[in-house]
Amino acid sequence: MSDITYLPGKEPHEKEHRLIFRNIDRKGWNPKIKTYLTEGGYKMAMKALKMKPQEVIDEVKASGLRGRGGAGFPTGIKWGFIPPNNTKPIYLICNCDESEPGTFKDRYIVHQDPHQLIEGMVISAYAVGAHVAYIYIREEFPEAAILLEQAIAEAKKNSFLGKDIQGSGFDLEIYVHRGAAAYICGEETGLIESLEGKRPYPRIKPPYFPAAIGLYMAPTIVNNVESLCHVVHILRMGGDEYIKLGTPRNSGTRIVCVSGDVKNPGYFEIEVGKVTFQELLYDMCGGPKDGRTLKAVIPGGSSSKILRCNETFKIGRGDDAEEMTFWQLPLDFDTLAAAGSMAGSGGVIVMDDTRRMSWILNNITHFYAHESCGQCTPCREGSTWMKKVSDRIEDGKATPNDVQVLEDIAYQIDGKTVCAFGEASAWPVEAMIDKFRGELVGETSDDNDTRSAERIAQEQFLSSVPQ
Amino acid sequence: MSSKIEAPRPRSVDRSKLSYVSTSAPKDSEVPKPRLIDRSAVEYIRPVLTVLEKNVHSPVTPGVVHFPQFKITPALEKAANKRIAQYPDDQRRSAVLPLLHEVQHRHGFISPESIEWVANKLGIAAIKVVEVVTFYPGFRQKAPGKLHFRVCRTLSCAMGGSYELMAKLCEITGIDRSSADTHKDPISISPCGSYSVEYAECLASCGTAPVCLVNDDFHEGVTPEKAESLITQYES
Repeated sequence: MSDITYLPGKEPHEKEHRLIFRNIDRKGWNPKIKTYLTEGGYKMAMKALKMKPQEVIDEVKASGLRGRGGAGFPTGIKWGFIPPNNTKPIYLICNCDESEPGTFKDRYIVHQDPHQLIEGMVISAYAVGAHVAYIYIREEFPEAAILLEQAIAEAKKNSFLGKDIQGSGFDLEIYVHRGAAAYICGEETGLIESLEGKRPYPRIKPPYFPAAIGLYMAPTIVNNVESLCHVVHILRMGGDEYIKLGTPRNSGTRIVCVSGDVKNPGYFEIEVGKVTFQELLYDMCGGPKDGRTLKAVIPGGSSSKILRCNETFKIGRGDDAEEMTFWQLPLDFDTLAAAGSMAGSGGVIVMDDTRRMSWILNNITHFYAHESCGQCTPCREGSTWMKKVSDRIEDGKATPNDVQVLEDIAYQIDGKTVCAFGEASAWPVEAMIDKFRGELVGETSDDNDTRSAERIAQEQFLSSVPQ
Repeated sequence: MSSKIEAPRPRSVDRSKLSYVSTSAPKDSEVPKPRLIDRSAVEYIRPVLTVLEKNVHSPVTPGVVHFPQFKITPALEKAANKRIAQYPDDQRRSAVLPLLHEVQHRHGFISPESIEWVANKLGIAAIKVVEVVTFYPGFRQKAPGKLHFRVCRTLSCAMGGSYELMAKLCEITGIDRSSADTHKDPISISPCGSYSVEYAECLASCGTAPVCLVNDDFHEGVTPEKAESLITQYES
């Protein structure tokens, strides 16, 4: 792949292994089908259409591909959950509602290489037996929605979509559906409700597992953009070859998006588990800005638990457990889970020593208070309470007890909601208090007013009423 | 036997027999004297609006002059029919979001008339459209300015200086954001109606923070110093 030249300043780092992002920032590249076809585009779709659907699923299972949307669930196993006695139409949905703070990988795929996604969708739809597929794209990508529709029209013209694709007898229609700026639509059942034209209130699981009861109560497979693109490369390399990339149980490559206080933030496609935080943040991103030191890192989108840069972790069980500093941690699903956080969507947010943790916490709680859908009480009320308490802490108007109150609220949301948004909003707060309790308590004072804002307003009102 | 079920006739009630229904006006002595209340201190007494009126109500803003009034045109009908065809015949409701996007793209915001049109087009009750419009932050219920800035306020952009960018934009365009509310009223419009600003949640380009959307155009790395040139590039 040495013959590819990239735009100046956008060359990939030598530790990167580019599969999905092979054509991103490439010199002379454009999102047209003509360009994609000169690079052997749609060959894998043709190969898949000659195989049996079960063979494609087996290939993906053999590759060990884990979903790249956040939960890291194995894609091949997800595809196998469609009930065998199903008589309803099957739907495939591409989740392009990339809204996890810190994540910006799908943006580049849909803007610069939309045909890769469409090819991945053709293969996946064929494997699961879907004849209608939707791309749920977030409202904030207006340009990408147009690009995708153009790409779909081009693919249709070249008979890679539509009726009887390339004479194989397989039909597939792909439609673009634009969301409307709601974070909760990234949750798969919320996304399905939104596609049905309702408020995106997530459905309760069980019984509403999308693979059995999804869109229009029919079996539905929801996959992230990056996961669908990986399918193309799995077919090209073969599942057995693909699994050799990365580490056991964490196969393949993944795109890590680094933002925040480093010299060169950006996206890096790395083999899962082959790069440590030391390599990522110092070698690839150029380390902290001059005169500063790194303080904390959010490893997988703002919902994942924050890690302190001076922490040590015990990874593994029993006698095999080994001590690792934060800098030695490899970026894979299992190690980050063992370290008490998660790999999530791959959005790494870095904070240096100039950042006040109460300010960071306040920003995050504002996000979750705004984005809670309001369906179930612990999350709707709790996220707003957390916002109010963190407002107080950030303003320096809190008492030390407020930190305890904030922690209590977080633990009362965690695990008590319909969807994973509850955990997503509670985990960052729990971890932030766990790791930076001293700093947060240090910004509070015993002298501060313990009365609530409502109480003060009430007392002011009552005193203004003549008796 | 007749299968017809007769509705029971309403019983006539002699109201005078009902002891608890007072037929005469209460005597003065029975009425408790109202406490003296300073009315100006009581803010919550306002004309009562119904829930629907409150939610569908679209306040007129200075920005309204930049957008054509909602009108059903053949082009709109054609675009709507194309969107409806994307979904199964018995699932027309799915087209609510695409249709609202079509309306908002042409007319700047979602007016009560357009809600009615979408509901009729899809054969669903108007409230099912209203609930969607009021839920999603992507749908506006009042006209924004000719240039609508959506500045990302989430963590990475905030660390990159998006709060300062917002302050700078407000300063240049003369927008007062003091009454903005993230839930009920996120958009603030300049008195001239040419500009409006709003905070957006994560625009998914955290590596190039701070970022903002101007109408449908995406701009990255917009530091507060670049705010001036961002606005002037649209004015030429």
